[in-house]
Amino acid sequence: MKTLSAWRERLIDFFFPAESDTWLAVLRIGLSLQVVLYALSLRDDWNYLLAGTGHGLISRNLGEAILSLESHLIPRLGWFVALGTQVDLREETVLSVAWICLFAVGCSLLLGVACRFSAILAWSLHLCAAKSGGFVSYGVDNFMTIGLFYLMLSPLPDRYSLDWRLRKSRAKDPQWSRRAPGDMDGRALRPSERERASQLLGFWRRVLQLHLCLIYFFSGLTKCLGSGWWDGSNMWRALIRPPFNIINPEILAGWKYLFPAAGVFICVLESGYPFFVWNNKTRRPWLICICVMHVGIGLTMGMYLFALIMIILNVAAFGPGLIRTEHARISLRPQEVIS
Amino acid sequence: MVLGKKGVYLAGLALHLFLIITVSSRDSFWLLSKSRTIFPESSKNFWQRAEQIASTALGQRLSASNPARQILTGYLHLSGIEAGYGFFAPNIPNSYKLVFELRFPDGRVEYELPRVSNAASVLRVAGLLDQIGRTRSEAFRQTMVKMLADAVWREHADATMIRAIFGSVILPSAAEFAHGKRESYEFLYAYDFNVSEKSTDQSTP
Repeated sequence: MKTLSAWRERLIDFFFPAESDTWLAVLRIGLSLQVVLYALSLRDDWNYLLAGTGHGLISRNLGEAILSLESHLIPRLGWFVALGTQVDLREETVLSVAWICLFAVGCSLLLGVACRFSAILAWSLHLCAAKSGGFVSYGVDNFMTIGLFYLMLSPLPDRYSLDWRLRKSRAKDPQWSRRAPGDMDGRALRPSERERASQLLGFWRRVLQLHLCLIYFFSGLTKCLGSGWWDGSNMWRALIRPPFNIINPEILAGWKYLFPAAGVFICVLESGYPFFVWNNKTRRPWLICICVMHVGIGLTMGMYLFALIMIILNVAAFGPGLIRTEHARISLRPQEVIS
Repeated sequence: MVLGKKGVYLAGLALHLFLIITVSSRDSFWLLSKSRTIFPESSKNFWQRAEQIASTALGQRLSASNPARQILTGYLHLSGIEAGYGFFAPNIPNSYKLVFELRFPDGRVEYELPRVSNAASVLRVAGLLDQIGRTRSEAFRQTMVKMLADAVWREHADATMIRAIFGSVILPSAAEFAHGKRESYEFLYAYDFNVSEKSTDQSTP
């Protein structure tokens, strides 16, 4: 019975660790930048890619019809277009308004204004665009949905947001303001509220961390099962495959002896992620290597938005602890001098 | 936080992680059953069966109108976990190319590619071509190519006929490249769209 109770305690401690809101600030700022860049990257093609029959590249209506076969609950731009027609708004107008709203919520999320509302709106608008344009969506849309979904559910606002600063200045009695243990400045705060908030922050960070571990595990595992990642041929093919072929193959051919090592490195890095990123000693090198890998993907394959979202999710999930450790080490030095 | 609330959070997380693992497994099994991997060919039946079991766990075997399936699928999409993570795995397939041959009344012939404004959109169109190339549904492929042809036609309203030629890009290996071999194209499908008859003729190799 005691063992069971101890296990339960350990489980609770693991899933609800006391956590500061630094990771949430990283996630919010990172995702808001991602949303803004996503909107800007689609500015010229937004209406063309998402138009209904007769105006665009492909019909949004067909994509939405297929979506309805899967589930009627999946949000789509067609809902807004249908609402717009009730008030005599043309489809192009509704789509343009949707783009403007997405860009605006990206900016408001960046500043931290109406964080929760902005996060919900950013998630729903991006989801509508990604699902309605399902034929032309790819990995970046999935990861943006994942990130925005967790951001929307996490305990916003974080202390770097304007919301937080406004709330703080309006509060009559600052001792009741929500603070995580990592941010305590010695004031007497209401313990239950503070503990609950920090544990909730810790819970949502755990969710993101576990999800990332599963992503890399499955991505690494499926790569390991293909022979092309062990002999480097997949590295070569990835870099010369249109439309990712932004580096001249003549140059790449000179690097061909590096490809087998790079292929194995990626397999090990991805499949080893869930095992090595939790360990204090290996977390920093693993996280740095993963981020470098994504920077490499962005620069050599032109997948800038994909690289950015992966780096944001990784840094938000596992980065803040590393930075805090560094601060703690630095702050110890004066004490050593004094003693 | 009271334990009861934590229990609700943990139950939600358990369900969420179960769905992520099941979706990822399903897609991984699908990849293993369709691709050349380090496993023997005879194992493909096993992976197919495993994929079916994972699909069943996700309610994909229920009728499309079943409320449980609708809610589950809806949640997967809302949380962005409806697809697995086998990017570029287990091997990297060839890419696809779609070229439109436009014929004008004066006998002129022009060639066009699906056109978008920037590199970010090019990635999206490439993904679309991959879907068209991989589908086993001829009706879907034809519908998609026709819509892409329509988009080209709007910009060349005076063209009388458009032939859409869909092909696979064959990539050379690094060794072949060093010996002078370059990427080549394998013809897969062609569709003729005639403006006057509004008909579609298809030819395959």
